[in-house]
Amino acid sequence: MGLRDRGPRTPRVAVDTGVQLVAAWHLVGVAAGIVSMLLASRSGDDALPAVIKLFVQVFSIAVTVAHLAAAYGTFRRMRRARTVSLVTNYLLFVVSGSALLHQLGAFTGIGKFGTGLNKAFLPFMVIVVGLLWVLVAGQLLAKKPLAAGPNGLRRAGWGLVALASVWFVIAADPSGMLSMIGDRITQPLTLGTLAVALCSGAATRFMWQRRVAVHFGTSASEEQTLSGLAFLSPNLIGFSFFFAGPLLFSLVVSFFEWKTTGTGRSFVGIDNYVRALSLDLSSSDVANAGNEVLKPGYQVLMHLDWFGQNWVLGARDVEFWISLRNITIFLVLAVPASVLPALVLSSILASRLPGMKVFRAIYFIPSVAGVIGVAIIWGQLFQSTVGWINYLILRAGEILPFVDPPAEGHPWLSSNSTALLSMVVVFAWMNFGFNTVLYLAGHQSIPKELYEAADIDGANVWQVFRRITVPQLRNTTFYVLITTSILALQLFDIVWILSTPEPGGPNNATTTPVLALYEEAFQGNDQGYASALAWVLFLIIFGFTFAQFRQQKDGATSGGVS
Amino acid sequence: MSVRRKGPKATAIRIITYVLLVVVAVVVVFPFAVAVTTSFKRNTDIFTYPPSLIPKKDSTIPAADVGLDGDPVPVFTFPARDDRPGRWALVDADASLAEFRPLDDLERVIVLDVKAGEKTGATVTIDGEEEDVFLVDDGGTQVEAYRSRLTSGGLFVSVDDPSTSVLDLVNFATPAREFGPRFANFTEVLAEKDPETNGKGVGRSLTNTVLVTILVVLGQIITSILGGYAFARVQFKGRSTIFLVYLGSVMIPFVVLIIPLFQLMLQVNWRDNLVALIIPFAFTAYGTFLMRQFFLGIPAEIEEAALLDGASRSTILWKVMVPLARPAIATLATFGFLYAWNSFFWPLVIINSGNPDNAVLSLTLSTLGGRSSTDTNLVFAGTVLAMTPPILVFLFAQRYFVENSASSGLK
Repeated sequence: MGLRDRGPRTPRVAVDTGVQLVAAWHLVGVAAGIVSMLLASRSGDDALPAVIKLFVQVFSIAVTVAHLAAAYGTFRRMRRARTVSLVTNYLLFVVSGSALLHQLGAFTGIGKFGTGLNKAFLPFMVIVVGLLWVLVAGQLLAKKPLAAGPNGLRRAGWGLVALASVWFVIAADPSGMLSMIGDRITQPLTLGTLAVALCSGAATRFMWQRRVAVHFGTSASEEQTLSGLAFLSPNLIGFSFFFAGPLLFSLVVSFFEWKTTGTGRSFVGIDNYVRALSLDLSSSDVANAGNEVLKPGYQVLMHLDWFGQNWVLGARDVEFWISLRNITIFLVLAVPASVLPALVLSSILASRLPGMKVFRAIYFIPSVAGVIGVAIIWGQLFQSTVGWINYLILRAGEILPFVDPPAEGHPWLSSNSTALLSMVVVFAWMNFGFNTVLYLAGHQSIPKELYEAADIDGANVWQVFRRITVPQLRNTTFYVLITTSILALQLFDIVWILSTPEPGGPNNATTTPVLALYEEAFQGNDQGYASALAWVLFLIIFGFTFAQFRQQKDGATSGGVS
Repeated sequence: MSVRRKGPKATAIRIITYVLLVVVAVVVVFPFAVAVTTSFKRNTDIFTYPPSLIPKKDSTIPAADVGLDGDPVPVFTFPARDDRPGRWALVDADASLAEFRPLDDLERVIVLDVKAGEKTGATVTIDGEEEDVFLVDDGGTQVEAYRSRLTSGGLFVSVDDPSTSVLDLVNFATPAREFGPRFANFTEVLAEKDPETNGKGVGRSLTNTVLVTILVVLGQIITSILGGYAFARVQFKGRSTIFLVYLGSVMIPFVVLIIPLFQLMLQVNWRDNLVALIIPFAFTAYGTFLMRQFFLGIPAEIEEAALLDGASRSTILWKVMVPLARPAIATLATFGFLYAWNSFFWPLVIINSGNPDNAVLSLTLSTLGGRSSTDTNLVFAGTVLAMTPPILVFLFAQRYFVENSASSGLK
């Protein structure tokens, strides 16, 4: 197949000289690590925030130790030294390379690139069309290998892309960006970073070679580990930096009083969690007692009347508890509303009558259309004076005797009693199609013999549905219920657009936990407390996930969905 | 379900089934139909009762039809006046008129030419004012009336019979409406943000969304292919542990990451920049699984043959595995596209200075269509523009998408 690896065409450095150079490079690294460690500990408190300082110190120590080990091992030609050197150099290359891009403004430059793209949107679209064309032509080529036409079509596509690219560059006018890069690259810090990136990159490349592996006597399994990590590294680095790291950080922050801006950061232990979850129940003589019957710092959440005795339930964070109440109501209504239609419709769609694929596609569309657009549309439908919902109810009232429309159009979104219900409608409308498709997958695992047997026994449609379909889809139903619940628990976008007069309104009737979190973190500037809310919410969601995990484990043995 | 049986009962069930399916389809499609038609309406048209699915404009006819030169003239009807049937062209909106009120019914207004009516010489006292009494023509009969005011109004010519004309106040006539989509909604909403031209700056947001989506999808494809290949094909130390961690990560809801990611963006100065929407989302555990599952399904012999041939692993991956994995990549690209295009919460958090140059579509739409929204027609034009690409992508990539949405969770 001619897949022989061509290898680098660069002039080959003798292995011994190269290894010595790499070792020397590692010694430079040790020196640099010690210097940066000293610099970090010397600098005053105001120069660097404590967390960053700690981070720099730990990082410097790690760099120093890694370089030291690599240098020593490389000199002594130890078997493991190549691995250590490779990992150290590779990570250094990634860090310095990212730092270089950062200094050159490549990351924040993406925003500026947007400006260029905006100016050159037309040639850009031509490029996209050209690439799609090439792709389609390629598909034709793959299907008809003997046809002479498509190859020419494909070339024409590439020609179009090339022309449009030239047009794009002219229209986007990148001169400003280039001159900015030219300005920045001459700064000493940038040049230093560039040098580090080049050296560590060259060292990685050299050490990676097979003959160097032979030189160090690297074992096959070690070679495997290295190449496995190399393939995984872009993913793993991103995963650690943008997922695992932040996750741990979030847990840490939740034990702090942590303001976004300013220096108000102090360890408060589990105070944030206590504040979020504290409730106080006290009895009172009057029916609608105020905050004064509760402990200080608590506000009235609700009034209860148990066996003639008035009780007042209070919470420290009333809004959060209200949001928990709202989301519970929402869950109880929205989950069945988006799962039950899916169960019924999927049973019909699974019947392979003509046209089923069309219906399946139609039902799926709301879940891909984008929640903001969907919410905007429903906002107009729910409009009290000229909205379609009220109009259709009115018209239905003219035809159907049991529909009794109100004289005035009902204000769905600004009424306390129907605001959350409206969100339920939108949520169910958006998600039932997706659930239908999930159910359709479940239908595929129902043995056809069951239906044939029922057919012979003369069972009617309802009996088949009730006695075969529903029980056989038990595991799918569980899965669908759980995923929909997890989705519902994180309700935010729909409320953000539809609730009125402010997010979560009217009168907190549609406040959700995620909304409460957002407001605490980004409007109330209390990120420590908001992190604690996030973890409380996570634990609730995790309960659902865990239940699903358990079910899947059980289902695996009892012939569940495969 | 078993609906294959024959006979009248089975036919009945089949009909009921289709009726149910169609009703649900209508419920799904109707809001989109409202969105599309609203996006072509004039703003005043949206807030009329009863709601309608037809975008309308005021009717006009060429001036030549009523024997005039110049611009097209607007058309009106008089639904309350049986004596004025059909459509009437307003040829002069500034004719000098006089309003007369008959003495026997002071509530009624007779609109006539300013020179109409003959003074009888008598006077009458209305609200303490002494007024002359006129003899005026009221649809063929002469009535006594006083002239309540001089005003300007419309001269209407019958469209059916241009020789007939009447004078009346313009607001006594109803503008005739006809089908007329307003395409300017789209150009206005796309135009650069500018209160004077009514531009809403959605064009820039659209560009940004396109940029973000393309880069996120590319990033996800590359990192997922590499990671998926490592998990599927390379035996390395710690693989199962790392894989387990990846698996667990899917359980973490994004809400937990919002605050620390926000802090991270502050530290690297990426706040309010498109890069904050791209780089953190170029890595996906889900995509990595998808690719891993697919690579696991490719027979190992293909790879071993190439290895024996002396090819390196990366050559095998890009030249052998990736071409075979096209369906999985298409699935991943579709998911990535829909996710990046529709994402809202994170842009809301991180692109928060209100600078329109950094906003993405979902964000601009939410501000535009928010509580203080005024130009509903433009909002809907923007909504339609935002919804079309994901729906098209879904329809074209349905094969990959629907099958894998189902298998993603049920494995």
